[in-house]
Amino acid sequence: MMKPFMEEIRVNADAESNRLEKGVQTIEPFDISEANSFFGSGCHDSAMSCSLSSSDLVANLSIELCDSQKETLLPTADIRTLSLTLGGQLPKTIGFTFPESPMWIVAKETPKPASEPTTDSLVVNSASNPSNESALACRASRKDRPKMTRMRPPGDLVKLEDRLYYVLQPPLETLIQSAKLTFPFQPFPYQFEGVAFLFSRAAAILADEMGLGKTMQAITTIRMLLLSGELQTVLLICPKPLVTNWVREFGQWAPEVPVAVIEGDQSKRAWVWNHPQAPVKIANYELLMRDRSLLETNDFKSDASENFSPAQLHFDLVVLDEAQRIKNRNSTTSEIVRSISRSRSWALTGTPIENSTDDLVSIFEFLSPGYLHNDMPLKAMSHASRDYILRRTKDKVLTEMPPKMFRDAELDLTSEQISTYKIAEEEGVIGLTDMGDEITIQHVFELVLRLKQICNFDPITGASCKLERLEADLEEVAASGQKAIVFSQWVDTLDKISSKLERFSPLHYHGRIPSKQRDSVIERFKNDPKHTVILMSYGAGAVGLNLQFCHYVFLFDRWWNPAVEDQAINRAHRLGVKGTVTVSRMMAMNTIEQRIHNVLEEKRALINTLFAETGEPKSLGLTQKEIFGLFNLHLPHRHSKAA
Amino acid sequence: MSDNSTGFTKGIGYGFVTVRLHPEHGYFGGLLVVNALARPMEFHCTLPVKPSRAQSILYGPTLHDFVCGEQIARALLSKAKSTPTIIFTDTSPVLSVRHFLSIPIGWLESDTEDEQSSMIIPTSNANRVCKSYRVEDVIIQVPEEFQDDGHAIVASWKQNSPQIDLMEPFTRITEALFEANPAAKAA
Repeated sequence: MMKPFMEEIRVNADAESNRLEKGVQTIEPFDISEANSFFGSGCHDSAMSCSLSSSDLVANLSIELCDSQKETLLPTADIRTLSLTLGGQLPKTIGFTFPESPMWIVAKETPKPASEPTTDSLVVNSASNPSNESALACRASRKDRPKMTRMRPPGDLVKLEDRLYYVLQPPLETLIQSAKLTFPFQPFPYQFEGVAFLFSRAAAILADEMGLGKTMQAITTIRMLLLSGELQTVLLICPKPLVTNWVREFGQWAPEVPVAVIEGDQSKRAWVWNHPQAPVKIANYELLMRDRSLLETNDFKSDASENFSPAQLHFDLVVLDEAQRIKNRNSTTSEIVRSISRSRSWALTGTPIENSTDDLVSIFEFLSPGYLHNDMPLKAMSHASRDYILRRTKDKVLTEMPPKMFRDAELDLTSEQISTYKIAEEEGVIGLTDMGDEITIQHVFELVLRLKQICNFDPITGASCKLERLEADLEEVAASGQKAIVFSQWVDTLDKISSKLERFSPLHYHGRIPSKQRDSVIERFKNDPKHTVILMSYGAGAVGLNLQFCHYVFLFDRWWNPAVEDQAINRAHRLGVKGTVTVSRMMAMNTIEQRIHNVLEEKRALINTLFAETGEPKSLGLTQKEIFGLFNLHLPHRHSKAA
Repeated sequence: MSDNSTGFTKGIGYGFVTVRLHPEHGYFGGLLVVNALARPMEFHCTLPVKPSRAQSILYGPTLHDFVCGEQIARALLSKAKSTPTIIFTDTSPVLSVRHFLSIPIGWLESDTEDEQSSMIIPTSNANRVCKSYRVEDVIIQVPEEFQDDGHAIVASWKQNSPQIDLMEPFTRITEALFEANPAAKAA
């Protein structure tokens, strides 16, 4: 419609131009493309370009061409009057509305008296530039404000409306302030970042290094999602020893959120599973095995009460604490966890990769089944998982946190230990060699454990180079009024240590201490100054405990996996620690311990490599080949596999 | 309309309008309506708008006022499902929309323009005289011919005490504009 008209203009303009050449009229000739541009033809995406057609000639604004000249010079010329309508049509828009959640609405404080100068009236008269002292003071005041934490939509959120929902949320600090949420202490900025990360994600791994407050970040996010009405039911699954810790942390960080622990006999558990008054339920991994039938079929009626709903249990969110527990995807625990009906899935772990990238793939089977697979190249896996994983390390985010100092206590065995050790190793290696192809990894393990026990204590005389050193060090610790943790792989070893350390009133925290007594043990250790040392097994004490008042950690013997050792160390070296944490790693030189230490150091370097997204995927645990290699034995005809 | 149990006045919305100019794609406008707790109620944005050459010539120094105020802001506000009590803008040309609305509108000069951003805030070349008012720690300017707006804004703010950092919502709108128009992100 537009183009023919333009062409008509061009024809007329050309005609006028011919007249101009004859010295009759002044008029600027049109170029057709310029005319198109001038009148907005095909100009742009929006409808705001001025429209012009024969039917649209409304005289909002007129351009009259050489009207006066027409009268005087060209009384007979056929001069047209062009009328343009500018802005007749408004630009096209797209819009979204967001539901207000009444739960978020909280009572506001009593309005301040009108006389208070919080909101001032007219301050200055000015033109459009408020460059006066008051304005400058306002700007300075705004610039002093702390940085705000914004939510970001996850990468897998496709719908624009869903993405904008998160983009348009106010900063986390504003949400917290307006909801009048209080915290026992001010969270660190990186913790707010963690909350913002979890808040918008249906699938996420919070993989912060131990001690950075994963528990607090998860609880705060759950709290905010519950308050905003985005969640109604949450299931948190953790190792059994950590259940009381989670309950305590919820009481501290989300005191208004009711929490129910799944425990007791089957009928009680069935009741709690369906208890609607507690939006957060805490279960332990071991218990899931027993309640598998309840979770999968939810056949509560036949088991307990007629009141239970026959509908399948569904949770808006399932959180796995210490998610490395499902690193073996074929394990029953992993299968049960994956079978739970849920809308969101989060995994919390300081060690998403303990042995190999298979561990990460297994966790993703819970988060987003099939998203990662074992044969992916490392870089591809790293790229694909990037948006789902948030991992920070202490050295990156806690620049002001006191350092941890490693002090490797390289000890020589006592003479009694040496003779026992030599006999055991020689006989053991001969025995293994004689087995030929019948040898298994279990046989080698048995020898390793036997030798490690001798490195701790001579089985005949009880002599121990490590204990001698430990006693000397603990004297210093006690004298300075500090406290220490001693870790060992064996409870028997801890008992032997305990008998020699009675003057330090040692407390025990390991598998032989009933779960219900463990909290009181920690409380006594924390509050009673006579208890200088606590003896812990790696299994019971490595995860979830907050012992940041301890500045000394002793690893009496070494674990197979550096990640487990790190977890143990980070019981003390975590948020709130006020001084340097000294870690003494006891190692008997020229023994199996030194050989294992060397391998573990290589593993530690590999973990760093993987998170730096470089290098080839490698097993991070001790492989069978490496274990056989501890005794210069050759791997029998089997495939190498992570231990 | 007040909810006595919460003390929160339901239905009160505060409109934030911003316009950004991209050298290649033209003008992008956004309106965010938030409640008294700064939470989003609705959001509207325009598709990229580019004035024609005719408009550029004919509106001259008042082109920004025409595009940002009479066109973009007017279009956005006409689409709002809730009527904001007050409108704030960080884009001075948007003030010209006041001639088409009966809602008080105040301009807050942005002090946090991102130098890395591919888009700039258009500034008005019209010789508009404004009066300044102070709300919390922000100076708000209203056109002199609508100076009653200033008193209305101050009075409303005192009465409702909304928990809003007045400059902050513009950051959200700008990010949302980038989210809705990824092409504009590239400089």
